[in-house]
Amino acid sequence: MSQGSLLANKMSDQRSMKAEVSGTPKTGSEALLRDTLKRCSPETLEAALKYRASGDVTLVPVIVLGIVERFLDPEVISKLRSGDDTVRFMEDLGLDSLTMIEAIMMVEESLGVSIKNEELLNLRSVGDLKVFIQEKITGFKSGESNEFYTIEQVASVMPQQDPFLFLEQANLSDRAAKGRYTISGQEDFLQGHFKGNPVFPASIMLEALGQLAVFSLLKNPPSEVGSSIDMSEVYFTGVDGVRCHRVCKPGDSLDLSIRLKRVRAPLAVFSGQITVGGEKAVVAEEITLAFKPMEPSTNGNGSEASALRDVSVSPQSTNGSH
Amino acid sequence: MGQCSGIMDRNRVFITGLGVVSGIGNDKRSVSNSLRTLSHGFSPFPAYPPFEDDVSSLVKLVSTPKGFDVDSLDFEDWTYPDCYKIRREEMRGLAPHGVYVYCAMKQAIEDATLSSEDVSNSETGIYTASGGSPRLVSSNMNRMRELGPMRCSPTGIVSSIAGTLSFNLVACFKILGNSCGYSSACASSGHALGYAYNDIALGNQSRMFVVAGEDVNYESVVPFTGMRALSLESDPTRASCPFDRKRNGFVSAGGGVALVLESESEMKRRGATPYAELLGWGQASDGHNVAISHPEGEGLVRAMGNALRSTGVRAEEVDYINAHATSTLIGDASEGKALKEVFTKVGANPQVSSTKAITGHGLSLASGLEAAIVCLSMREGFTPGSAHIQNVDPEFEALNILGETTDASPSLAMSNSSGFGGANVSVLFKKPCTSSYP
Repeated sequence: MSQGSLLANKMSDQRSMKAEVSGTPKTGSEALLRDTLKRCSPETLEAALKYRASGDVTLVPVIVLGIVERFLDPEVISKLRSGDDTVRFMEDLGLDSLTMIEAIMMVEESLGVSIKNEELLNLRSVGDLKVFIQEKITGFKSGESNEFYTIEQVASVMPQQDPFLFLEQANLSDRAAKGRYTISGQEDFLQGHFKGNPVFPASIMLEALGQLAVFSLLKNPPSEVGSSIDMSEVYFTGVDGVRCHRVCKPGDSLDLSIRLKRVRAPLAVFSGQITVGGEKAVVAEEITLAFKPMEPSTNGNGSEASALRDVSVSPQSTNGSH
Repeated sequence: MGQCSGIMDRNRVFITGLGVVSGIGNDKRSVSNSLRTLSHGFSPFPAYPPFEDDVSSLVKLVSTPKGFDVDSLDFEDWTYPDCYKIRREEMRGLAPHGVYVYCAMKQAIEDATLSSEDVSNSETGIYTASGGSPRLVSSNMNRMRELGPMRCSPTGIVSSIAGTLSFNLVACFKILGNSCGYSSACASSGHALGYAYNDIALGNQSRMFVVAGEDVNYESVVPFTGMRALSLESDPTRASCPFDRKRNGFVSAGGGVALVLESESEMKRRGATPYAELLGWGQASDGHNVAISHPEGEGLVRAMGNALRSTGVRAEEVDYINAHATSTLIGDASEGKALKEVFTKVGANPQVSSTKAITGHGLSLASGLEAAIVCLSMREGFTPGSAHIQNVDPEFEALNILGETTDASPSLAMSNSSGFGGANVSVLFKKPCTSSYP
């Protein structure tokens, strides 16, 4: 760096600071938008300019993903570009929550929306963000929005507890839920399943799906039920159409998903699926739970009876089948 | 200070690695060359609007590391030498001087041949010294007032306030041991060095990084004009001339320095070669004035006395003093009186120089940078001179002020620092006898 350029640089900087302080418009001019997006791809800027002019919401995903991409390490950009909406910001793209704030600020400035902290917490995946921003702009709720729960929040609701809780986070939407359990290798039963070859039992995988279904019933009772559900009175009754496609071992993260197929008190029927790194591991066509709607006078802190514990010994268990 | 414990109970402490990013060089070799040839590291400081026409009030020179450009308010514009790689998520938390220090830290780790396990364990800590970044504080405040708090950078605070170096380096380098930032203005890195010494000497840690840095920009430099502390000369040899009759203020310096301190057993376990043994230190306060040093240098006299007493070193054994002398009228005079009190009075006549004549005054950076300079002089065999003296002020005639760099290294050196409020720190270094270097 020459002396000359050092000097010029400092000079211009003093001035630019002044200009920024005194003259920044609150709603973005085109120049401000160009400056905000100056490190994004030309396509991103182009889409944002078009959006400003037309308000065409189909441009939103291009803008949002272009902004996220600008914060990524080069080696993970292809993951974002894969088009997979399940790609997660933190786990898959290596973004921390500070970077999420940076990206969100840029989205806010570019699209003229404002996002609350508690909303930010629910934006875990590319799909979450796309849907969320679209809803923000159109004001229309698609019903796909997610609520994220940490392991502490999950444990505070569930009848199952450590060491028999196989759900470490959950994402609830209207009639579906996603969750996750990472096989630590410290689970006691792995010592005997199998000798010298720890394989996560298929019965426990069904248990994990069942637990996610229980969590969604308790936390987000389907509208047909019309009341909350007694946490001490949810039981497993059956599972149909189970297929295991993949052996799961310590270190694998089980991505659990369930969807409510139908509900008619006292039964609720879900479909379920587990994937590991996008690879199909278990499919269950129907998981049926029996539940009891809460009586208006009943105290919810009733018995400690554990629901679902019998899943691992149920006749439908596929324990050891693979 | 742990002065009540006997000298024999303490672990010995050695400096085994260093890194420098400064106006006089961004690596050991160029820093040594500048010290041998007494080449200053100053460059012109731009006139600042809207007062650019009032030449008599403008600072003309600063000491800026070359090869870095960290002036922009947008950290993603910053550039630094290609041999370093700072990831975006690390850079966004750094102040401008954080970039200098990050690079100095990389040098020091490589210089001491530390593995990543050596850096990140519960026995290894870091003490830092910096005044924060007034530039980033002011731009954050402007942005907050103009656009509202939710439009401020989420790293605005950690990149700008006085603990910024600690927050960032602990995270970037995965430090697991003790960590803390020191803030005693121009004595800050002297305190950091001293307390790091204590931690190792008392067995609380086996290795400590001591890092220090300062920005060098409009917001960090120009406020000192109001204190009448800066030289407004444009001739480098007149702008920074400690001990000279015509000294008239200091030249501001920015940069970064990192030192690796290790216990004797840890150093031996790794087979590392020390630059110097850190014998110990002393501190004392003037209790006199918020910004002006005591006219007789009373606090500094006691700080030097404490350093000698706690290390068991006699004044006659000290053969080199790297003075704090920044080239201000009052400050240099008060240090001169203190040196005469502690040394001349007992018949000792150590060589004295102020390397600030060529480095400028780096505030929180100063003591750390001067410790690195003493280390280099001990390993590479020279004693740095005090540049830019045309006529020694009669005040210092009784002292053995070294005008030129000599080809012999000091064997027992003292380094002084004095900060605002009259905080004085004096550190003692010994040339290791078993050095495998020439």
